[in-house]
Amino acid sequence: MIAIEFILAGMLAAATPFLLAALGELVAERSGVLNLGVEGMMALGAAIAFITVYTGGGHVPAFIAGGICAMILSLFFAFATIGLHANQVATGLAVGILGLGLSAYFGKPFESFTVTGIDKIAILGLAELPLVGGLFNQDIVVWLSLLFTVALWYVLTRTKLGLLLKAVGENPHAAESIGYPVRLIRVGAVAFGGFMAGVAGAYASTVYTPLWADGMIAGRGWIAVALVVFGTWMVGRVFLGALLFGAVSLGGIAVQTVGLAIPSQLLTSLPYIVTIVVLGIISSNKRLLRLNGIASLGEPFEK
Amino acid sequence: MTNTLNRRNFIAGASVAGMVAAVGGKAAAATADDPLLITLVIPSPVADVGWGHALYEGLQVVKDAYGDAVELTVIENIFEGPDADRIMNKAIADGTKFLVAGSFGYQNGAMQIARRNPDVTVLHASGFMVAPNFSPFAAQYSQGTYLMGMAAAAVSKTGKLGSVSAFAIPELITSLNAFTLGAQAINPDIELSVVWLNSWFDPAKAQEATEALVAQDCDVIFSNAQDTPSVVAKGEELGVYTFNLNSSMKAYAPNTYLGCVLTDWSPFFKASVDAHVAGTFEGGNAFLGVGDSVVKVVDWSADIPADVKAKIEEVEAGIADGSFSPFTGPITKADGSEGVAAGVTMSDAEVIGMDWHVQGVTTPLPG
Repeated sequence: MIAIEFILAGMLAAATPFLLAALGELVAERSGVLNLGVEGMMALGAAIAFITVYTGGGHVPAFIAGGICAMILSLFFAFATIGLHANQVATGLAVGILGLGLSAYFGKPFESFTVTGIDKIAILGLAELPLVGGLFNQDIVVWLSLLFTVALWYVLTRTKLGLLLKAVGENPHAAESIGYPVRLIRVGAVAFGGFMAGVAGAYASTVYTPLWADGMIAGRGWIAVALVVFGTWMVGRVFLGALLFGAVSLGGIAVQTVGLAIPSQLLTSLPYIVTIVVLGIISSNKRLLRLNGIASLGEPFEK
Repeated sequence: MTNTLNRRNFIAGASVAGMVAAVGGKAAAATADDPLLITLVIPSPVADVGWGHALYEGLQVVKDAYGDAVELTVIENIFEGPDADRIMNKAIADGTKFLVAGSFGYQNGAMQIARRNPDVTVLHASGFMVAPNFSPFAAQYSQGTYLMGMAAAAVSKTGKLGSVSAFAIPELITSLNAFTLGAQAINPDIELSVVWLNSWFDPAKAQEATEALVAQDCDVIFSNAQDTPSVVAKGEELGVYTFNLNSSMKAYAPNTYLGCVLTDWSPFFKASVDAHVAGTFEGGNAFLGVGDSVVKVVDWSADIPADVKAKIEEVEAGIADGSFSPFTGPITKADGSEGVAAGVTMSDAEVIGMDWHVQGVTTPLPG
């Protein structure tokens, strides 16, 4: 029972870095651009945000600074892939590695330093409930992320901007022919994705694990990329995927503390096994993929 | 095993090395233009704390002693694997004559280098292979964690201890066992829960694991082979005692830091470099502990009751002079069978290869 309480209380916060980065990547991919540099952008955002908090800048400027630095990095990617028609996979990998290198470089003088996180905000009444109470005691970033998820769902499915993004991703030539600036929209989507990755990194290094250590993102950016496919480019499913991933990774730890005789290696790899299985199920359903997949994903747009 | 560099003849060797230091000094002076190049390769970044930091500090003492006659290079963040072999070979090609391979996974590559380059001396962390110019070295953390266990049992209110541990390898299992045995010496009913992260490096996961253990009422957490202050900082936040290995993290938990099982590699590194310079280096297993001044417990918490502190000091003196070992029977395994018979003390080789938990560790070992 205590283990379930622990998972419920922690899974939202554990899911937040995945969620923010994955939603950013979702927007970029919806416009038809596959940016594999999420890991590096998260790392750069994490380093810059940590430095900002450590030097006394406060958390709000830290999130903005982390987001903007990661966005600048994503603009390099946008310039190469959208401006110069470079291969998106190769460029994304290169930019990701660059981001990891930059984060290590900037973070070097701050290696293993710690800062103070931010306080949690409890929803009165609900937070005192037995078992599920912890679920309603989260930091402000978690609450804002939930609001952001709803807002993004609304924008993508219920507004003209969402439709525009979809048109650019599904058929850029058609969008161009009716007068929409395809390249500009794609650059905007990539920049948004970069900003969100930076914010996700900032959350990881200044709130969730308030310390800086080179390599602390530890593959979370890759999980975010996988979650976008996992959620078949739908906001709600990406949210569920992030939540499931957070819960399963905490579950792996919680099961160990109660002393069940399950090999810990298996528990550690459980989130990844779940990801692979779900991706496998999704990929086997060709209709689902064709319905939700982005038609021009990964293809450079040339007039 | 006549060539074994064990604790006793290591000390003897160190004093011999001291005698030939004058000769070594002369040799160094004669080749002042051509300093001895020492290279340290480690898998993590050199930070202000942790395993890499401890190795670096140890070599820095050697560098300070030799001055311009020694040049020290540190190559950090090197994954264990083919890339590490390439980087170590490059270091040798660049003139390194004394290589410190700072992680278990470098073993095969480092051994090949030692075989191909008889004039190069290689020290390798936590391995088991030995050659005339290749010594594995390891710290007897268990001697320190036993003392920590005594302190932990004295300050624990719930009688439940926890540990966030990297990989279930013998070195870490041994530390946990000694910790548990030390705690049982003060409170026979005490229990230990372990979370295996299966990662040397994932600060976020280490903090999640700390929270999970605290949720299970553990009130002393042993940060086992975690290079970042993740667990220690989280412990301060949650108000539970923590301690760690290798270098002190008291600054990260001023109120709840129980102490640090420090490793000071400088005496071993100094003796090895002296022997290399004098041409008398002999490869052998270096399993170093409290008696070698390599393992020390520092920064004890002021919350440890005076009577327990006195007992700890008594046991520490016993470990240092060899009259006490944490692994003297009777010791029962976690599954209830006999681990060590009454009155029998485990040999170094048995301690190094320990792959079972003692009774009181509630988490089963991963298979």
